[in-house]
Amino acid sequence: MKSILSVLCMLLCASLSGCLTAEQLADIENENACESTVQVRDSDGTLKILTYDIFQGYSNELIEQFINQTGIQVEIIRTDDAGGILDQMMLTQMAPQADLMLGLDNTYLPTALKNCLLVEHNITPENLTQSSRDFYDGDLALPFDEGDVCLNYDEDALQTSNMSVPTSLWNLTEPEWNGKLAFPSPITSSPGRAFLVATYDYFTEETNSERGNMSAWWQAIADNGAIFTSGWTESYTTYYTGGYGEYTEGYIGGAYMTVSYCHSPGVEAYFAENYTHSTSLMLPKSSFHQVEYTGVIHGAAEIDAARQFIEYLTSPEVNVNMPEYNSMYSVIEGSDLPETNGYRYHSDTINTATSITDDIIEQNMEQWLLDWQDATQ
Amino acid sequence: MIGVFDVSSTTVVVLGERGLRSFVVALFILGATIPFAYAILRLNQVTKWTALDAVLRFPSVNGATEALQFTLFEALASALLTIVIGLPVAWCLSRYRWRRVRIVRAFLAVPFVTPAIVAAMGFLSLIRDGGLLSKIGIDLRLETGIVGTFAELSGWNHPGHFFALILAHAWFNLSLMIRFIEPTLSTLDPAWEEQLSVLPSGKSKMKRLRTLWVPILGPAVLCAGALSFLFSFTSFALVKWLTPKNNTLESLMAEAGSSAGIAGYRVDSSELIYSVALIQFFILLLTLAITGSLQKRYTRRLSLLSEQGVREHHGPPTYKAKFVVGLGLVFTALPFLSTLTSSFQIRAVSERGVQTEWTLEGWKKAWTGDLSTMGVNEAMLNSVIYAFATLLIALPLGWILASTIHKLDKRGWKKSSRCLDLFCMLPLAISALMVGLGVLLGGLRWYPQMFNWFFLPVYPHVLLTVPFVVRVMLPAYATLDPRYTEQCQLLNMSPVRTWYHGTLMFLRGPAVVAGSLTLAFSLGEFGASWLLVRSGSWDTLSIVIDQLMGRPMFDPSIYPTAMAASTMLMLLTFGLFFLAERFRESSDRSGF
Repeated sequence: MKSILSVLCMLLCASLSGCLTAEQLADIENENACESTVQVRDSDGTLKILTYDIFQGYSNELIEQFINQTGIQVEIIRTDDAGGILDQMMLTQMAPQADLMLGLDNTYLPTALKNCLLVEHNITPENLTQSSRDFYDGDLALPFDEGDVCLNYDEDALQTSNMSVPTSLWNLTEPEWNGKLAFPSPITSSPGRAFLVATYDYFTEETNSERGNMSAWWQAIADNGAIFTSGWTESYTTYYTGGYGEYTEGYIGGAYMTVSYCHSPGVEAYFAENYTHSTSLMLPKSSFHQVEYTGVIHGAAEIDAARQFIEYLTSPEVNVNMPEYNSMYSVIEGSDLPETNGYRYHSDTINTATSITDDIIEQNMEQWLLDWQDATQ
Repeated sequence: MIGVFDVSSTTVVVLGERGLRSFVVALFILGATIPFAYAILRLNQVTKWTALDAVLRFPSVNGATEALQFTLFEALASALLTIVIGLPVAWCLSRYRWRRVRIVRAFLAVPFVTPAIVAAMGFLSLIRDGGLLSKIGIDLRLETGIVGTFAELSGWNHPGHFFALILAHAWFNLSLMIRFIEPTLSTLDPAWEEQLSVLPSGKSKMKRLRTLWVPILGPAVLCAGALSFLFSFTSFALVKWLTPKNNTLESLMAEAGSSAGIAGYRVDSSELIYSVALIQFFILLLTLAITGSLQKRYTRRLSLLSEQGVREHHGPPTYKAKFVVGLGLVFTALPFLSTLTSSFQIRAVSERGVQTEWTLEGWKKAWTGDLSTMGVNEAMLNSVIYAFATLLIALPLGWILASTIHKLDKRGWKKSSRCLDLFCMLPLAISALMVGLGVLLGGLRWYPQMFNWFFLPVYPHVLLTVPFVVRVMLPAYATLDPRYTEQCQLLNMSPVRTWYHGTLMFLRGPAVVAGSLTLAFSLGEFGASWLLVRSGSWDTLSIVIDQLMGRPMFDPSIYPTAMAASTMLMLLTFGLFFLAERFRESSDRSGF
């Protein structure tokens, strides 16, 4: 027994060498992580990428190409969505377990920046679109794809039900839309969060008008029987009548309108031989230009490898494939959606510039989420 | 250790055994308590709420009251439906001389060890448009026909998916009814029923039901019902996929799990988890206590005759019995077959409409994987490694705990025995998600490097499977005759040989059952892994299926890919389960 206890003691003492220090623990408690020294994990030559289910079409061959070019091994750590990436980075901020973040969008990035979760990437790629750099153009994160989040609706359903296309978001609070709207929750879904920002943008200009404000609209929407789901998948696949969901198991239907991307009808057509009955609602200020970023995590062990991956990802030859591979726009200047199967034809583009900045999001997001909860509960 | 002649060696053996038992009990108590205690402590620090605050503020937590109402409703409905479906099957299976009854019993037990995510996929494919249920007029998906009329008349929004959920729970828990009813019925002296039928109190069926069947079968039915309630109450994967608009307490916590326990960040998530976890803990603890007391009443029933004799007496099954058991078998098989078929089908959408084509694309994609989702080959290897690592730890741990409980009971330390017994069930009351969250928060705070450790998910898997090992081994210990051990000791056999001949030889069957359950539960474990594997890159098959189903399915090949992955997990579980069945003794009736 003594020998067993000795071995256990030795193992325990040895293993505790990786524990956080008292100062680090105090910094976490006091929400003072920016001032604290981050514990860097031991380098093992493997680049660890923290991401979510993006790159659905990217093949292993593409990663192998990166490995062959650079000799760097890659390991993917997957979370369920962009929010999951931020959660994971916040949770491990004193001792990060990954080197590269891939997939935080501009609604989450301000929180990551505020909490010092990223370090300079020192890369100056050329040919990036202006729209991808408008929101954030600093050295801590680099855009790798973009797209506009907006409302999609089922053209056929509206026609069959003799309903007119809304000309204002307030139209959606009218009785004919009762129970026919599905929204992903901004608390748990990044498109849901992007659309919440869009409604802020839309209703900010209306604050002094008779038509009320963002919270009042969300409350009216909830009162009008809107369906709220935890993620985009449930809204779009389970309830939206205009998307591919109607051909899949678990479909319920009933919602003629939902939140997705303005180019989602194009993606529908691309996979269905140029056929779709979904289209986007093109109301000024009712959309949000979402940009997805990559960046080196503060405390990364494989900083050089992470930078090489960012260069590889934002290189024109790889990045122009975003529309096919990730159903998003490439951030390379001059690139566009492919015309195959009506991809480009069915994708709508928003031209109204947003007035939302990273400061506005960083300062207000928590309050918006609370307001949204109060309004829809 | 009685009657050993060599006093000094006996002392060493007794001390060694006591030391080992104390070590194992302490290890389990610490292992099971620390994650939950740490999670609560952390949530307490982040929210600045006391435990009492958390309980009292439950009604104000966003979505909590609705989730509690839905959880109670679906768990009660599921338990009732399990009884309604399971009782006739168990009754018919127990009363007649069936050929290959062991195979039938094993087949009906398969859903219980089927990973929840596979069950969800099976039922999703079963209720699809053009699926079997919609073909016979029960459209649970689009809610047309009878279901639509019911929805209209009742004003119930989307009852179809709720029915699919409770049906799936009943399917999942069907074997619980058989496991509790069959041993009582198949050994009950037929003379009781015959004699009663000539007495005034047994003339009519209703009277016999009241005077004979309710007292005899009541505790067993309630026991199975209580366990069905428990498993339906903590349902996560099935709720996530079959009723996406509703949350159980478990799925509500899962949504907030990844952002909980971080100081100054998403405090609402921590508040939600804190409040909901405590309420769920108290409800589950109460359910476990009720189940325990029912189980005691149930085990007091005496077996009066041999099973074979009773079956012989009732003779071959009637057509009605064959029909009922046949229906039970079809009900069990349908979701599996449906999943298998869906893995070979792909949708082709065009202006002309939707067509279904046969393809192997799903299987090819599932096998290789891509950047978003790990290949099934790799995930399957992870799942198998975790399952066997869990087996290596959970089986001996649970075994020693069961024997310790038994020993304490035999030595008259009844209270200690009962306490330890209840404690062994504690991980089930804490729930998989809280176990995972505790490991996540505690581990990350004190030893972040732990998250680079591939074997980390084994920890919650062990905690969640030990209660089942204890539940299977404990009744087996009760039937063990101590005289065999005494004989071995009289023959001056070594302690190892004494244990081998006096104990192991008689507990092989239950051990195999416990082992196969451990393997199956670890393979299909979802809740704790769902939280934990996000910290590493060691996805299991369950997680891969969930990831695939969570992806945008513009690309029609994703669905058959998810179904192919489900089929592989299903086959893996079946393979291990039936392999274990081969080693099970025919007389063994100790478990599932």
